Amino acid sequence: MLDATLIFYVAAVGLILIGIAGIVLSAHLVRVIFGIVLLEAGANLLLLLATYREGAAAPIFVKGAFPAVMADPVPQALVLTAIVIGVGILALTLSLALRVHRAYGTLDIREIRQRMEQDIADAAGIDMPTSSEAPAPVYAHEDGRS
Amino acid sequence: MNHVVLLVALPLLTAFLLPVINRVSHLAGRWAGPAVLLLTSAIGILLWGDLGNGPVAIELGGFRPPLGITIYVDQLALLLALAVTMGTLLLWPGGGEDRLRQSTLALLLAGAGSGLALSGDLFNIYVFYELVAVVCYGLIASRGTPAAFAATLRYLIISSVGAALALAGIALVYQATGTLNLAQLAQLAPEKLNNIQGLVAFVLLLVGFGVKAELFPVNAWVPEVYATASGQVSALLAGIVSKLALVIIVRLLILVFQQPEAHMVMLVLGILGVVSGELAAWRARDLRRMLAFSSIGQLGVMFIAFSIPGPAGVFAGLAVALHHMIVKPALFLLAAQWGGGTRQLAGAARVSPLGAGLFVLLALSLIGVPPLPGFWAKLLVLVSLSEQAQTLYYLAAGVILAGAALEANYLFRVASRFYYARPGQVPPAAPRGADLATASLLGAGLLASVFLMTPLAAQVEAIALQAADAGQYVATVNPEALP
Amino acid sequence: MRRLTSALFLTGLAVLMAAIYQQMDLVVTPLAGDAINASAAQQVGAGNIVTAVVLAFRGFDTLLELTILFTAATAAGLVLGKPRADAPRDPDAGFILQAGADLFFPLLLVVGLYIILHGHLTPGGGFQGGVVLAAAFFIPVLARPGTTLDHHAVSLIEGLAGAAFILIGLLAMLGGGAFLTPLLGKGELGTLFSAGTLPLLYLAVGLKVGSELAGLLAQLAATEATD
Repeated sequence: MLDATLIFYVAAVGLILIGIAGIVLSAHLVRVIFGIVLLEAGANLLLLLATYREGAAAPIFVKGAFPAVMADPVPQALVLTAIVIGVGILALTLSLALRVHRAYGTLDIREIRQRMEQDIADAAGIDMPTSSEAPAPVYAHEDGRS
Repeated sequence: MNHVVLLVALPLLTAFLLPVINRVSHLAGRWAGPAVLLLTSAIGILLWGDLGNGPVAIELGGFRPPLGITIYVDQLALLLALAVTMGTLLLWPGGGEDRLRQSTLALLLAGAGSGLALSGDLFNIYVFYELVAVVCYGLIASRGTPAAFAATLRYLIISSVGAALALAGIALVYQATGTLNLAQLAQLAPEKLNNIQGLVAFVLLLVGFGVKAELFPVNAWVPEVYATASGQVSALLAGIVSKLALVIIVRLLILVFQQPEAHMVMLVLGILGVVSGELAAWRARDLRRMLAFSSIGQLGVMFIAFSIPGPAGVFAGLAVALHHMIVKPALFLLAAQWGGGTRQLAGAARVSPLGAGLFVLLALSLIGVPPLPGFWAKLLVLVSLSEQAQTLYYLAAGVILAGAALEANYLFRVASRFYYARPGQVPPAAPRGADLATASLLGAGLLASVFLMTPLAAQVEAIALQAADAGQYVATVNPEALP
Repeated sequence: MRRLTSALFLTGLAVLMAAIYQQMDLVVTPLAGDAINASAAQQVGAGNIVTAVVLAFRGFDTLLELTILFTAATAAGLVLGKPRADAPRDPDAGFILQAGADLFFPLLLVVGLYIILHGHLTPGGGFQGGVVLAAAFFIPVLARPGTTLDHHAVSLIEGLAGAAFILIGLLAMLGGGAFLTPLLGKGELGTLFSAGTLPLLYLAVGLKVGSELAGLLAQLAATEATD
């Protein structure tokens, strides 16, 4: 029952779930970023697992011949691409996190969100929405009150 | 037709070399980008004529599919590629910091968007999608304000989650079929993907690619991004990038995931999108966020339209999408200087009568007032919906009508402020010359289409019919039958 | 509330994935993969079939991957801005780290270039070797934080290497072929000079990735976190 495919599948799905949990439930930006890394790792593993063949060798010309049973090279190339994409985006994420921290002085997601809403409201010259659920007044009064 | 690859390769090449060109000559560095885009637009327009005999498939590297990657050029793909290239040319980012890097990003957007429209391989689409995403992050963040950085970060997190889920969906598809070529997937789908694995894969891909298409519920990033990005970037995102993502999902629906459950999922999410978008727009108090929420609503209408099975749905959705592609960028350009609260817009008509007039025209078309194209597009959707025999489709039609009523309310609330000047209130700044010119061009195009409605409608219908023909797609690409 | 909905969503997803596993047809038939394995030697001539996939069969994906790295570096450069000249710097590292870094530099260069150039024969290639090259150029920056990389040289190498990749691909179009068709003879399988333009492509990839990552890391290192 404990064949390799099952173990890897559970690992891949587990990584994806843990990653999503980390992103959704964390308040700290760096933990969210770690969640993204785990999520991508899980997705990559799932991709590699797609055409897993037990006992296959790497598709490389060794000692004058190719192995008899070769693994599928396509997922390897795909995951290579996906990993590099992940690294590039991670670098950009960290740069943004650095700048946000420099501007707002905090890495707490909720605080960053509040400061961002405040900045947008200030730039627009309107009051900050007190809650995203509260209905905005529809009609403005003549003297500018709302 | 081989030269269609140049629409992708030339902008990328120029983007790579731009820092080098700029060191040699600042003038060349400044104009190399627009020049290249002009060239590729010309190539694209010339190639449009070659499509008279039907779509063409190009095998990259000379490798037969499914070993290699195929590029599929039909009228819809070439139209979108041209839209991206010409749109980027028209909405070339100017001003702001670091002009060189912004030009690089704009060139990359043109190349990546064209590739996204033209690709015929599932993983290739995913990589193009990620490229477009990273370019968008850069463009939004180029504003330089802390709010822009925070908005970009939020967008990035949601988009990364979506991308990873899409990758998981691709893994499931590959596991079931063993191939990534869209044509071969179309051949194998009825027997291999017509099960729960296929449906889950579709939902994962829908959510993943739907982030850019502002699908409910992964559209939490929309309001802040549009509120903090510059006018041109907002126009590009709302007008063109969202349509690219939408068409990807539509192609998957037409070719690979033909089961009715998939259509149902899109229908439900589309209805939720219309409801949430229009209600939020109704309550919004600053113009840019109002337009952003309205975009969510309009894209919801498109999702509803595309969820109608058959060529009728594709025709209706395409009509709405093309109309939105012209109207929304113009609105965002006008709103670039009018980003304040709606109260502050009083007296804008006196400052810029052309701008205010254009806004009213575009708003009328968006709501769907005859004889403007928006009316015909929405009518097409409603008629197609009423021809379906299921309650959910009737509900969708009702929701769209209610949404139009809300649109009328909040858009006219804004428009009436333009013409109502309060004494002592400083009117807002006029839109920049370049923005106003581009918006006028788009508005003029809109008016022209009123008179050219019949031939335009026939052409759009032809494009839709060609796109909806899965059999023709498979026959054109002709993947190698492997044991 | 948020925790509850998250827990429900994740449990639902887990159950769904388990259901899929039950139904999954575990007999895999990688149509494309097997066909590639069978014909790679004859069509491309590379000893490492994964490299053949990365650079020949799916070379377009690799070009885009390069572009994504380039875009991310450009966007990060845009976001980070110019480092201030008077910013406080970390002090230089101790003697052991400095000497070790000096010794590592040529070693890493050799290893990186070896991995890049043998990408079509053994596991490795442009991306892997490129990262080692980037490390080679970044370790001196770690040891002596005051040193700056020459960003002009970095962007020059980056741009020219990327352009080289695209130009090699476009060259194939001149002969009437499709974009990114492998050129130059296939050579003898398993020797260094085989697989046509593949080693050249990987060299371009390696140089581009190396210079790009080194530049990005240096820029990140030079940015202070607080004002």
